[in-house]
Amino acid sequence: MFIRDLSCISPQATYFDALFENGAEELHGPKLWAKEPSYKEIIPNKLLRRMSKLTRMSVGTGLPLIKKHKDIEGIIIASSNGSLDRSMRFLNQIIDYNEGTLTPTDFVQSTPNSIAGVLALMGKITGYNTTHVNQGLSFEASVLDALMLFEEGKSKQLLLGGGEEMSDENYNIDSQRGLHKAEDISTSELLHSTTKGTLPGEGFAMFVVDANKNSESLAEIVDADMICHASKEEIVKKAKYLITKNGMSPRDIDTLFLGRNGDIRTDFYYNHLQNTLFSDQNICFYKNLTGDYYTVSTFATWLAAKFLGGAKLPEECFWKQTTNAVQNVLLYNNYDGEQHGFILMRTV
Amino acid sequence: MARRVFITGMGIISAIGNNVSENRARLMRGETGIHKAKLLQSRYSEIFPFAEIPHSTQELKERAGITGEKGISRTEILALLTIQQAVKDAVLLKNDLTSFDTALLSASTVGGMSMTDQLHQDANKIGEPSEYLSAYSTGKHTINLLKRFGIKGISATFNTACSSSANAIMFGAKLIKSGRCKRAIAGGADALAKFTVNGFNSLQILSPNPCMPFDKNRSGLTLGEGAAYLVLEAEDVVGTKKTYGEVTGYGNANDAHHPSSLSDEATGIIESISNALNVAGLKPEDIDFINTHGTGTENNDITEQKGMSAIFRKTPPFQSTKTYTGHTLGAAGAVEAVFSLLALKNDELYPSLNCESPIDDFNVTPNMVYKSGFEIKHVLTNSFGFGGNCSSLIFSKV
Repeated sequence: MFIRDLSCISPQATYFDALFENGAEELHGPKLWAKEPSYKEIIPNKLLRRMSKLTRMSVGTGLPLIKKHKDIEGIIIASSNGSLDRSMRFLNQIIDYNEGTLTPTDFVQSTPNSIAGVLALMGKITGYNTTHVNQGLSFEASVLDALMLFEEGKSKQLLLGGGEEMSDENYNIDSQRGLHKAEDISTSELLHSTTKGTLPGEGFAMFVVDANKNSESLAEIVDADMICHASKEEIVKKAKYLITKNGMSPRDIDTLFLGRNGDIRTDFYYNHLQNTLFSDQNICFYKNLTGDYYTVSTFATWLAAKFLGGAKLPEECFWKQTTNAVQNVLLYNNYDGEQHGFILMRTV
Repeated sequence: MARRVFITGMGIISAIGNNVSENRARLMRGETGIHKAKLLQSRYSEIFPFAEIPHSTQELKERAGITGEKGISRTEILALLTIQQAVKDAVLLKNDLTSFDTALLSASTVGGMSMTDQLHQDANKIGEPSEYLSAYSTGKHTINLLKRFGIKGISATFNTACSSSANAIMFGAKLIKSGRCKRAIAGGADALAKFTVNGFNSLQILSPNPCMPFDKNRSGLTLGEGAAYLVLEAEDVVGTKKTYGEVTGYGNANDAHHPSSLSDEATGIIESISNALNVAGLKPEDIDFINTHGTGTENNDITEQKGMSAIFRKTPPFQSTKTYTGHTLGAAGAVEAVFSLLALKNDELYPSLNCESPIDDFNVTPNMVYKSGFEIKHVLTNSFGFGGNCSSLIFSKV
């Protein structure tokens, strides 16, 4: 499938593509907040006030695309946590008011599928509509979902995207789980770190995808795959499986986008894959721009699509740069060292 | 051409039984599982009836053989128990499970947030961290189950509210048809939780009496809990295994009307059923029986009848098994897929309960008696949810 258009809100200045002109901004922990645009032109004030951050990021990226591309037939969203802040607000009210009479607004917004629902409602899009919440593999599953719709001929154009919002409550939970750095650290130091944990981030990326290539196509998403609870050898095996299944060999891959996040406990997976199969490739990183979250592969896909479309990436993205022409890109990301996702992309 | 997709195994737990045969026996006898809740920790357990699984979380752990394990949510234990049944029923071997072309597709709305009180403490850093820190996220049960069963293939977790597990089954069928997988375990699980009970109460759609789908005096839905999973296998790997039926049709659409109710025009319902018929290559008159979403809310039942009457010149026999299991939310699509497949396999209809005065406008009533020897070639099952999500599945005799 082919990416026709795209939009991204992230901790970097991505909404208007300033990232590619001004380079990456160094950000400091403990939380990497999304740089949100002014939504004034996009969302009526009355609606905006009631929206969760996740809803407004999804509408901020999705609605302009829906308005511009009137042929979108369905919506596939990846968001593992959904509007978590609303879930937690509702939860706190249940406990604080001892299960008193509560207003349903927070409950209705708390469910992750409310994002795809709101977009369908605002764009009057009655076709295929679904929401993936498979933690660190939510977006990879969404990609497969879209590919299969196209293969079946059930749809020709879709809105595909995903993201997460950060809330105090999930920060508390994930910190207690040991997912975050204990020390003060900035994005420029993150990938050189030798300690446990990473920096948490948030954001949303949205794509208009077509079944068929056309003059506006920017990049192709070829396939996706995944594996959980795998050894580093199984990761290599899975990567080969995906690449060969699509008629390529590892040598055909010229650029890797790796989800390295500076966590000493899990970054070895990236080293092993890189050293075993991809010693001569461009190596790009992105979590030193955004931090980590369940659906961060949406950001990686956005960045790779821009790269394949000819954008010059900020120098912070390159771990290793070769003279290879950029044609075939493999994205590999692991969440918490247990959920491993792959997305295969190429030039059009 | 696309490969056919057969159902070779099923597992279920609900308020009317711990396995497939117990559930079928209660359906045949017309015995509901809706009662006063004994285990649910909520002030609403005194006010509303529920379809509760009458086993404590500890008892369920013992049944699943994980007595000493910590940090496993009730939702995940329900899923585990039913996948164990489905895997055994389909005689999946270790090599089948670990093969890259075996998928696990699950669905839930509440997930680990079924541990509502623990979540409140952990989220607000009250006291020592609980054992459930890693368990709250909806998708976590799927990730844990992949490990437990050694599954190395594609996984997904859907949350499209009340249509979630219908989408998991649809996704599984498509993975197999497209050649990406040879087999898939697909379904969903949801445990009763203070979080959901308060959510539905805030929407004022919980019924003070056991739900009365398609009755003109209906007063809302009854919440339940449960889990169900199907084993789907490609025709070329089924061999001589027994099958319950074939996934022939599936449809998904969005009503695009309102965040928590369906449109008067039944747009999403009509599109979802039409899509399923189209995929199956069937005409409306080919459908012998409909398992409705039938929640018992004012909005759902009238809209669903409107949708059915728009598609079917003569509405085939239909019922709502939510009168037995309550509304099991993310599990409902899979729970009712199991009931639909039982009806299909055994050529029988189960009685819909609590419909005393049918809705006037449509001149149709749900099937209210047990019928055996009722030939079913194709069964349609519907699931609709908040956010406008509508999904339909069609199962056919092999």
